[in-house]
Amino acid sequence: MINIEIDGKRIETENGTTVIEAAHKAGISIPHFCYHKKLSIAANCRMCLVQVEKAPKPLPACATPVTEGMKVFTASEQAVKAQKGVMEFLLVNHPLDCPICDQGGECMLQDMSVGYGGGASRYHEEKRTVLSKDIGPLVSAEEMSRCINCTRCVRFGAEIAGQMEMGQAFRGEHAEIMTFVSGTVNSELSGNMIDLCPVGALTSKPFRYKARSWELSRRRSISAHDSLGTSLAVQTKNNHVLRVLPIENEDINECWLSDKDRFAYEGLNSAERLTKPMIKQDGKWQEVEWQVALEYAANGLRHIANGAGAEQIGALATANSTLEELYLLQKLMRGIGSDNVDFRLRQSDFSADDKQQGTPWLGMPIADISRLDSVLIVGSFLRKDHPLLAARIRQAVKKGAQANIIHSVDDDLLMKVANKTIVAPDALVAALSQVAQALDAEKNGKAQTASAGAVAIAKSLSCGGCVAVLLGNFAQQHPQAAQLQALAQQIAALSNGKFGFIGEAANSVGGYLAHATPGTKGLNAASMLATPRKAYVLLNVEAELDTANPQQAIAAMQSADLVIAMSAYKHHATSYADVLLPIAPFTETSGTFVSTEGRVQSFKGAVKPLGEARPAWKVLRVLGNLLKISGFDQDTSEAVRDEALKGVDVAAKLSNTISAIDTNAVSAAGGLQRVSDVPIYATDAVVRRSAPLQATVDAATPQAWLHSEELKKLGVQVGATVKVSQGQGSVSIAAAADDKLPRGVVRVAAGHAATAALGAMFGTITVERA
Amino acid sequence: MLSDQIQANIERELKKYPADQRQSAVMAALRFVQDEKGWIAPEDMADIAAYIGMPQMAVFEVATFYHMYKLKPMGEYTLTVCTNLSCQLSGVNETLLHLKNKLGIGLGEITADGKFGLREGECMGACVDAPMFTINNKKLCGRLTGEKIDQILAELSAGGQGGKQ
Amino acid sequence: MEKIAHFFKSFLLIELLKGMAVTGKHLFSHKITVHYPEEKTPQSFRFRGLHAQRRYANGEERCIGCKLCEAVCPALAIKIEVAERSDGSRRTTQYDIDLTKCIFCGFCEESCPVDAIVETRVLEYHGEKRGDLYYTKPMLLAVGEKHEAQIAKDRASDAKYR
Repeated sequence: MINIEIDGKRIETENGTTVIEAAHKAGISIPHFCYHKKLSIAANCRMCLVQVEKAPKPLPACATPVTEGMKVFTASEQAVKAQKGVMEFLLVNHPLDCPICDQGGECMLQDMSVGYGGGASRYHEEKRTVLSKDIGPLVSAEEMSRCINCTRCVRFGAEIAGQMEMGQAFRGEHAEIMTFVSGTVNSELSGNMIDLCPVGALTSKPFRYKARSWELSRRRSISAHDSLGTSLAVQTKNNHVLRVLPIENEDINECWLSDKDRFAYEGLNSAERLTKPMIKQDGKWQEVEWQVALEYAANGLRHIANGAGAEQIGALATANSTLEELYLLQKLMRGIGSDNVDFRLRQSDFSADDKQQGTPWLGMPIADISRLDSVLIVGSFLRKDHPLLAARIRQAVKKGAQANIIHSVDDDLLMKVANKTIVAPDALVAALSQVAQALDAEKNGKAQTASAGAVAIAKSLSCGGCVAVLLGNFAQQHPQAAQLQALAQQIAALSNGKFGFIGEAANSVGGYLAHATPGTKGLNAASMLATPRKAYVLLNVEAELDTANPQQAIAAMQSADLVIAMSAYKHHATSYADVLLPIAPFTETSGTFVSTEGRVQSFKGAVKPLGEARPAWKVLRVLGNLLKISGFDQDTSEAVRDEALKGVDVAAKLSNTISAIDTNAVSAAGGLQRVSDVPIYATDAVVRRSAPLQATVDAATPQAWLHSEELKKLGVQVGATVKVSQGQGSVSIAAAADDKLPRGVVRVAAGHAATAALGAMFGTITVERA
Repeated sequence: MLSDQIQANIERELKKYPADQRQSAVMAALRFVQDEKGWIAPEDMADIAAYIGMPQMAVFEVATFYHMYKLKPMGEYTLTVCTNLSCQLSGVNETLLHLKNKLGIGLGEITADGKFGLREGECMGACVDAPMFTINNKKLCGRLTGEKIDQILAELSAGGQGGKQ
Repeated sequence: MEKIAHFFKSFLLIELLKGMAVTGKHLFSHKITVHYPEEKTPQSFRFRGLHAQRRYANGEERCIGCKLCEAVCPALAIKIEVAERSDGSRRTTQYDIDLTKCIFCGFCEESCPVDAIVETRVLEYHGEKRGDLYYTKPMLLAVGEKHEAQIAKDRASDAKYR
């Protein structure tokens, strides 16, 4: 520890900290632009100049390490003069367009200028102009003259997002922040550059000229689009969500937000929003009153329960429904007498259900990921499925952690990967068991019989430090998910590490806690669709996009006598449903998400529901009343939550332990195998309707990716249209080459309208020339 | 694609630096490309980025930072005329005027036959010889007079080796 | 003694005469009232009357929709909506001033960075219904067009004090 003095205040601080860090910790503010606690030090804005005793010139506080007995003055005559001078220089070329600048009112330069600048400028010559740039649909670089060249955006790209898409080109007075040859910024974290930009040079494109910062009211909320439970500030005006910003939460999202969470709100006011209950009568959709629609639904359910039997009714919900909604849905189903309820729509292997000891979760707090020494990530499109978790692992890797990958595709994770094993999906179990075998040999001093790749991973995992095995979405959706889980457990045990699932959606843990899973007699999501029911209750579900096997799902929906779709949007359900009930998305309802680390987080609605849409928990509650099921008299969502979590010790329930699973690999299937990811902007209904997100490169129409040798074998050129078929369905999409894919594999995205005619996300698939 | 010669040159350059500091060779790599092609196109920068293993934008930053990298074709012989103080005092304006009239081009332009390009440069650190220009950043020509310029241009037109790449 | 003095004062109507003297003096002095509306009192160039929206000489409206006037208005009389115009510039789609709420404090013109919203010298306006005093953007622009010469002159006179 070191003793220093700032403005006469004695401060004890750790060796190696900088003056600005020590000052901020002591509550003394030092003006700054380029300094950011999460980024490297550039010291190029010179705003943080302070006077240091015995130093001949003012020193930049952000780049000056503390030394014993140092005396710093942040407001002495010399410091103030320096700050004032820097401020004047910064304003020399900064346009005076604050009145039309979207940053106006929340601008660091504006604030600092008031606090530290002079009253008027002495510069009367022409200011320099920098041309605007088009860097994609999310970030606007329309007014680059405002840039003060702090390079925060450049450093963010290179250090946090992992790819340097922005840079400072040219020199001196001609220096400009730009992309390489007018390219777009494609990072899935690009929106953070907007927050980082201390001036109005990089602003939000969808938010451009929508409102001034002082007009917006802020509401705390929780991210509904991935499983991290990111803290959000939803900003609204006139009952419209106009912007979403991160709230700093060091344990979860630090100070970042993924583009998906930031820009998904644009889907909330989509023209496709369902605003009135609708009933299909004689093949025609009619808008009706809530009472009529609910009674129609209740009567339909009662009729089928009394006639064909309650087990002919199935309920499906997506994992981004709230805990309250999932709890009431399962309560309703069990009240009718059916155990058929599930929220794991993209899962295909349910054999672990009765062997699971608790609720599958991340296996550790999110913050612990930063402290890992070695991690094995199995079956995860990490960057696209969990952008912020990927950023956390990227930071860990930078600090020396080793990332090991076992997967069926080899996308660039923008971090150093120590070892990777890329195999076809049906070889995933074998690859993992090789690692287990190698670890066993490593530990017990046996001769290594496993493959070299597996041995390398085993060596990395047996480093003796903090080790974890993480199973991604792909591993959870895999047809041998239970075996993968058992192997991960084995590997974690052998390496004294932890293992867990990176939850797929906002409530992947909450669904289990709400009991929205079939009991022993009920049917799970897959069997509910494989053996069609007479009636379905859908919560947030778009059958052809949210399920593991769209073909089967649509067939089941079409053969059903009654489909009650609770949805915020008027979607494809119009072709198979009988009742459409408009429900409120997460900004319009209160609710609770349980994040993948088991954190229970409740949030309130930010705006009133659009039109006649109502929170789904209220709809389910009234349905319960109409069906005369007891226990449906909660008045608030908090009451529902308290009931759902009554006597539940969430922390104690979380467990990934699984018992008695045969981990012998099954023999490989013949032919081409499908590998499918759910593209980052196709994961849920709101995201799918966000226009700016759909305009990004990541939301491009899916292609059929094959190894170029496979393409040659098929006689197909890159870019040519191919017919991809599975079961009875086929789609025509463009072929693309990816030589990092294993042979015998076709990568075709799921969850997208262009591929919804296909079947299961895994399994054999045929590709032929169109 | 980078030619075999350039790749060989870069490889030789890379040996001068530690294995984890490959980006140190970027300036040399850009020079090799410029020497071979006369200028550096964005595609070349992308190729260098891929070869050395650094972000494309980082290569672009370096290429745009230094004035001597030519980001557009500047003719077979690029004449960079110093316009700083010493040369100004020694009459570089007349030199420039003479060059412009002789070649029929302005600053930043190239002759129709692609032979000569004219650009402005900063002090070359040899003010004793002012006024001056360089040919392709390689050869310094000082104490310029009208006759001397005519002579140099004639030599170059005739295929002289004055700073030939 | 006092009683006697009082008697003479009341008997001789001295107090009345004193009062009449004041009246008489004012009868012949210079008059300060004017015959409104034929005659009008002089106005300062800072007079704060009816609001107007100004245009530049080339016909382009000045207002850029920064909403500072809306934010500063103590009576919450201003309502603005903004959108990007087809040429990319920031323009108001709605600019309303409710004159029944307005207290004519002049903060709006004080805060305006482009001298778009101004208060003119016009004080003679009326509305027959309450809604008549709800001035919308076209109405404000029309006021501005009508009085532009006077407004420009007043701004110029005031400029040296700013």
